[in-house]
Amino acid sequence: MTQPVTIIMIEDDEGHARLIERNIRRSGVNNEIVPFANGTDATRYLFGADGNGLAHKGNALLILLDLNLPDMTGIDILRRIKENKYLKASPVVVLTTTDDSQEIKRCYELGCNVYITKPVNYENFANAIRQLGLFFSVIQIPAAAT
Amino acid sequence: MTPDLRRRRALWQILLFAAGLLVLTVISAGSVYLVNKARDDNASVIHTIEVENQIHTLLLEIRRAESSASGFLLTRGPEFWTDHQAAVAGVPPHLNRLVELTKDNPAQAESVRKLRPAVETRLDQFTREMNYIEQSDFARASALVREAAAGDTTSTIRDAADAMLREEQRLFTLRSANANNSQTLAASLTGIGSGLVVVLALISIWLVRRSAAIRDEAEARLRDANLNLETTVDERTADLREANNEIQRFAYIVSHDLRSPLVNIMGFTSELEELGNDIFRRIGSLTHVPADGPPLAMNDAAASALEEPDKQLSQDFSEALGFIKSSIGKMDRLISAILNLTREGRREFEPVRIDTGELIETIVATVAHQAAEAQAEIRVGELPDIVSDRLALEQIFSNLIDNAIKYLKAGVPGEIVLRGRTKLGYAIFEISDNGRGIDPKDHQRIFDLFRRAGLQDKPGQGIGLAHVRALVRRLGGTMSVSSELNVGSTFTITLPIKWNASNRDRNQ
Repeated sequence: MTQPVTIIMIEDDEGHARLIERNIRRSGVNNEIVPFANGTDATRYLFGADGNGLAHKGNALLILLDLNLPDMTGIDILRRIKENKYLKASPVVVLTTTDDSQEIKRCYELGCNVYITKPVNYENFANAIRQLGLFFSVIQIPAAAT
Repeated sequence: MTPDLRRRRALWQILLFAAGLLVLTVISAGSVYLVNKARDDNASVIHTIEVENQIHTLLLEIRRAESSASGFLLTRGPEFWTDHQAAVAGVPPHLNRLVELTKDNPAQAESVRKLRPAVETRLDQFTREMNYIEQSDFARASALVREAAAGDTTSTIRDAADAMLREEQRLFTLRSANANNSQTLAASLTGIGSGLVVVLALISIWLVRRSAAIRDEAEARLRDANLNLETTVDERTADLREANNEIQRFAYIVSHDLRSPLVNIMGFTSELEELGNDIFRRIGSLTHVPADGPPLAMNDAAASALEEPDKQLSQDFSEALGFIKSSIGKMDRLISAILNLTREGRREFEPVRIDTGELIETIVATVAHQAAEAQAEIRVGELPDIVSDRLALEQIFSNLIDNAIKYLKAGVPGEIVLRGRTKLGYAIFEISDNGRGIDPKDHQRIFDLFRRAGLQDKPGQGIGLAHVRALVRRLGGTMSVSSELNVGSTFTITLPIKWNASNRDRNQ
């Protein structure tokens, strides 16, 4: 990624967060990763104290989102991101254990860009994340709307 | 209403009816009897009046003969003579008639017997008197008239007639009273009888009304009970559905949430394995540092160059990690199985007409090579077509055929037979094999999730039969097994021929 893109990782499971970060790094992506362990902190960071998302005006963000969060569902966060005029252009990658076809469909309908189910088999998991990292390294990401 | 009470009520009705009939019969018989009696009494009264009339007529004729004789004596007019002859001629028939009328009454007959000689004497006197007059012997005729007037013949006639009249008067009074009594009695009987019938009718009406009221009440209660029952059944069904859905959601959520930590365990175990390899390579490279040269490069050569105790450590480390990883793999498969089961439970079934024979042929074709490997022959008999969910049916039969092939006896050519028949709106399918069989004590167990029976020499999760039974139940059917160890097993599936989604699956 040539732009100073910030990766926002919203993942309540610290172990998963560590594994994801480690495998992204292994694929050679060195962008800043900002981790959040719950939805409240993540939304406060994303949308700012007043909730309008003005704080990230002009920043390039890539959002890694888990659906099963302790305080809210990732779907709510996804909807808010895609409804926010500053953030809606930022790619959202849903990375979760849920493989229910209804959930997957719903996420894409709400504007999710990539949906990945976490495989239990670690080789597959590591492989998936590394390929995601490779994907990150070539993807073009717009700055948040000005 | 208890049966005893009902019987008593019926008995009452019959008794009442019988009583009514009895009363009517008695009234009819009594009325007939009393009317007859009244008629007899009236006839008696008329008879009395007739007798009286006859006596008066007789006396009148005698008086007429007397007065015409006197008239003839005084005037010697021929009309008096004719009149007298007519009167005299009328007396004996009247007397005979009187005898006829009174012969049933001994007292009157006695009086008549007294009357007859007196009347005959008097008639004889008349004849003699007329003879004297015709011979113009008026003196003797007058003397005869005087004698007759003074004599006792006339008084005898009068007394006898009076006695008879008195007797008849007495009889008249008596018989009139009798007739009156009979009529009064008949009227009373009719009146009382009618009253009784009316009373019985009223009691009947009351009884009928009461039983009708009781029946209405019972009906109302029954209706209420039915309504309550329906409501209760609906409530229970809703509760059951709710509980079932709850379990499905629970299983789904649990299996999902179990996966999350499993990803970590698996992930960090793998990381640990990498780390372990790194560590042992490092140890190898460090222990083989040549006294004068630089340490060996960290590579596989270094790892293989471990000293014996270090090698043992490395093997133990790998073995431990291997167990952890295989356990995680197993757990992952179990969780996936639960997820699949709950997903299957949430799938909507769609009833379609299925050519069962064709469906089985397809399944048999897909397992052909497995069957060939096991030296098994699959024979399919005539199978009834049914309306059901195609996918579910496929899963049911392929699971059972798979099992039959999987658990054949080693070294014995397999023989798997599918048969079908219909009975009372149900299709019955039987899948028999000559395989290793199932111990009777395990017949229930094999249908439980994650439970298996017999020799554990084949891979499997213990899910197939549990899944099959759940599907059969959802399709409104039942399934059972009969089997003997080392002889073979027969699985019997009973499915409705025409299944529709509404009878089982409404809110799935």
